[in-house]
Amino acid sequence: PERSARVTKVRPPLYQYIRKLLFSDLDKSSIEHVLRQLRKLPWNECEAYLLKCFMKVHKGKYGQIHLIASLTAGLSRYHDEFSVAVVDEVLEEIRLGLEMNDYGMQQRRVAHMRFLGELYNYKHVDSSVIFDTLYLILVFGHDISEQDALDPPEDCFRIRMVITLLQTCGHYFDRGSSKRKLNRFLIHFQRYILSKGALPLDIEFDLQDLFAELRPNMARYSSIEEANAALTELEEHEHTASFEKANSASHLDAEKRPSKQADSNASLTAN
Amino acid sequence: MKGPLDRTKVVLRHLPPSITRETLLDQIDTVFRGRYNWVAFRPGKTSQKHQIHARAYINFNSPEDVIGFAEFFDGHIFVNEKGAQYKINVEYAPSQQVPKQWSKKDGR
Repeated sequence: PERSARVTKVRPPLYQYIRKLLFSDLDKSSIEHVLRQLRKLPWNECEAYLLKCFMKVHKGKYGQIHLIASLTAGLSRYHDEFSVAVVDEVLEEIRLGLEMNDYGMQQRRVAHMRFLGELYNYKHVDSSVIFDTLYLILVFGHDISEQDALDPPEDCFRIRMVITLLQTCGHYFDRGSSKRKLNRFLIHFQRYILSKGALPLDIEFDLQDLFAELRPNMARYSSIEEANAALTELEEHEHTASFEKANSASHLDAEKRPSKQADSNASLTAN
Repeated sequence: MKGPLDRTKVVLRHLPPSITRETLLDQIDTVFRGRYNWVAFRPGKTSQKHQIHARAYINFNSPEDVIGFAEFFDGHIFVNEKGAQYKINVEYAPSQQVPKQWSKKDGR
């Protein structure tokens, strides 16, 4: 039978060039070059397209997502509007993913979690955004009638999302207020995990690795009641701690920020 | 870091896919002209298969303006040219970052 030839999408040369830069040229050694080329683009014409391409992190190599995050941070000096937009877009993608819970989108949803974590590593979002996202993942859509579609009881994908984000940037939450925030979150996370019952082995092993890396001494609770008790205890403890803190006014609470940026990004923005 | 009570950036979600920046701002300006200092509009997409809602991020001058705005626009129903209704929602933007106003011109 007659079949019409497949129509290939023809993109304007400018778009083709952007795609070449981001999807084939970009690697560790070429990133400075790519950043310089991006800065030379006619921004009025292509800012929206560039934003679209930055959201396609799932199309590239998983191990290269940090390069896109680095570019975002590198561009913020001259195109702050753009790098603010990147953060807004990633967070919207994550939210949309939770709203649709479409199986076919899982790969890109994992890539977006990784991207968000890398944006934190390049100091482009602060820890409150990370923790808000983590809690959103645990609670989104619960206590409404669509819960079974949004987070089916046997579906462990949200655990996968949390693991991805914490694997990417969790090791920076090791002191000060962000350390306490992670401790608290991990208990909530455990409670969520327990609500899922028996886990697939791949998830269970990744969880073991995650806890071993971030909090090797933290107890893994075996029932929701135990996790609840731990949360109550933590709240009482923090209540007395904040009381003591108020009495000693000279409490400095430095939050360790990633240092990754110092070596790679400083050289980028200096050009 | 901004606390919950001094957030000024909101996101409008579930706007009609075909709405334009101008139409939206005309609506907003009827009541809130001069009370915000930054807007970013993300157009939606109208297609049979994948409809994408338009979105907008707005930074208000004060947290109180946000409350007033949400009371006015959250749940507000927009009707597009074909008569379809879109119930929009107003939320605090998950990232409160707003571009610096003095953004440097790139010397390249």
